Amino acid sequence: MTASNTWRVGILFSTSGVTSIIEKSQLNGTLLAIDEINSAGGVQGKMIEPVIYDPGSVVKQYGELAETLIVEDKVNVIFGCYMSSSRKEVLPVVERRNALFFYPTLYEGFEYSPNVMYGGATPNQNSVPLAKYLMETHGNRIYFVGSDYIYPRESNRVMRNVIRQGGGEVLGEEYVPLNAGIPKFKSIVEDILRKKPDAIFSTVVGQGCINFYTAYYKAGGRGLDCPIASLTANEAEIAEIGAAAAVGHITAAPYFRSINSDANRKFLTRYEKKFGTTLDVTSCCEAAYSQMHMFASALQDCGGMDTDAMRDALLGMNFQAPQGEIKIDPDNNHTHLQSRIAIVNQEGEFTIRSKVRHMIKPDPYLVYPQINDWSLQLQKVIGG
Amino acid sequence: MSNFIRNLRELNVAVMHPRDKNAEELIRQIHRIGCGHEAIWPIPSKMPKNVDVLFVDVDETNPKQIKPLLNKMKGDPPAIIAIIDYENPSVLEGLFDIGAHAVLTKPLRATGVMSAILMARRIWSENKTLRKDLDKARARVDNIQKLNDAKFILMRHRGINDKDAYAIIRKQAMAKRTTTLEIAHSIINADGILSDLGNE
Repeated sequence: MTASNTWRVGILFSTSGVTSIIEKSQLNGTLLAIDEINSAGGVQGKMIEPVIYDPGSVVKQYGELAETLIVEDKVNVIFGCYMSSSRKEVLPVVERRNALFFYPTLYEGFEYSPNVMYGGATPNQNSVPLAKYLMETHGNRIYFVGSDYIYPRESNRVMRNVIRQGGGEVLGEEYVPLNAGIPKFKSIVEDILRKKPDAIFSTVVGQGCINFYTAYYKAGGRGLDCPIASLTANEAEIAEIGAAAAVGHITAAPYFRSINSDANRKFLTRYEKKFGTTLDVTSCCEAAYSQMHMFASALQDCGGMDTDAMRDALLGMNFQAPQGEIKIDPDNNHTHLQSRIAIVNQEGEFTIRSKVRHMIKPDPYLVYPQINDWSLQLQKVIGG
Repeated sequence: MSNFIRNLRELNVAVMHPRDKNAEELIRQIHRIGCGHEAIWPIPSKMPKNVDVLFVDVDETNPKQIKPLLNKMKGDPPAIIAIIDYENPSVLEGLFDIGAHAVLTKPLRATGVMSAILMARRIWSENKTLRKDLDKARARVDNIQKLNDAKFILMRHRGINDKDAYAIIRKQAMAKRTTTLEIAHSIINADGILSDLGNE
């Protein structure tokens, strides 16, 4: 490390390309946290200085820019990535250089690296509660639609197992390219309307998600009759889809902008002050925000960016996040998170319908989740 | 989905490796995967019971200790995953000696542990099935051979054909409530004794 007057950290979120909507919100969450830390005097008197690159939603770029950040910009800590494929590009780089990498996104699990802090939900924290909710509320005939990469396929495997345990049936399983436009969904939507499932489970991400919801609405599909349930459709995407087309659709996530709590209201007020709007605040944005704060707190403890010391400080750390209490699991580097189910209302805002009582321990290597796991018992939420 | 993957968490995994950073990393990953686990070191004089998968540190000399340990186990030995530091011929020969089903190289990392467990377990299980089938097939060939010998004896003595010879053996087996194989044994033995008598 060169002696400098700031703590330099690398940031790799795309502000252009197919996943830019969600990654911009992650970038904003990160920048808000940096602002808060710096305006409170920084860490041990030094400011945090972000070095930001735009990988343009191009998978290979993430790995190359991670290398650039470490070699040329001399940073030792990187925040970034949305898609699993981009994380897999960064992983070997941070392992080889023994850097620390914060990944604030839900993903499919089955990974552990001592160099990564995983801030998003694993399937046991969101898929299982969502499957349970769908079957209890809507029925057990489900149709799967996903983007064609590893996360949707693995999510669907988990979902299929849980639905079968509940005596349910998967009516169809379709995959579309990441950049799929509205016409691409035509035949899928027709098939859905013909088969009349009780609900649709969507793992279509990014721009494709907006196109899919729009295509479904245009063809006559209504969320209030047969909802699309997703783990990734978030506030920013619902805003693009519009309230009319989005109403009734369901999302499971640790955080929603509409959470009715002091911590969340304060977070949103500061966010609005910095960015002028809270329209694009999402669970991935909140995860990015929390990870930056946890990093700063570990840095305060260590007084330097040595990876091994930082890791020790981070493992087991608790944080009062906008979603509620979270904690980094000392065994697997993933995060204990809250779990909520919400429905889009007439105004295009998520109304939270149910949540688990306590944060759920991440279990990234769970092959076969049990639908009757008592720790995932949902409770009704009244009044959001 | 394959049962090997589905039932992963039911496995008991033992790690026979000096207590160092490699062993610690490995045990932690086994814990994350969610298998039961225990650490063993130094190489004991007797294998613990109920181990399904054994990770074992293999160098150029210790297969001499490991091999007898596995050989004297009652029941099935576990699926074996060797952990090696050097990839040279003496160490690799050791992998064959102890019958390793998979290999990991040092320095150990989390990635690869799950695949190694699954591959080792699958090959172990396939070997077990094949061995059982082979034993069965061998016994069967042996039995057919014996039955043929007995039939030839009867055919020679009685001047009858193959079909009638078999009918006699079968009838005898039913009358004595035993198997055709037993009867075939008796015929072969009797023939042996009788021909020995003739030679004295």
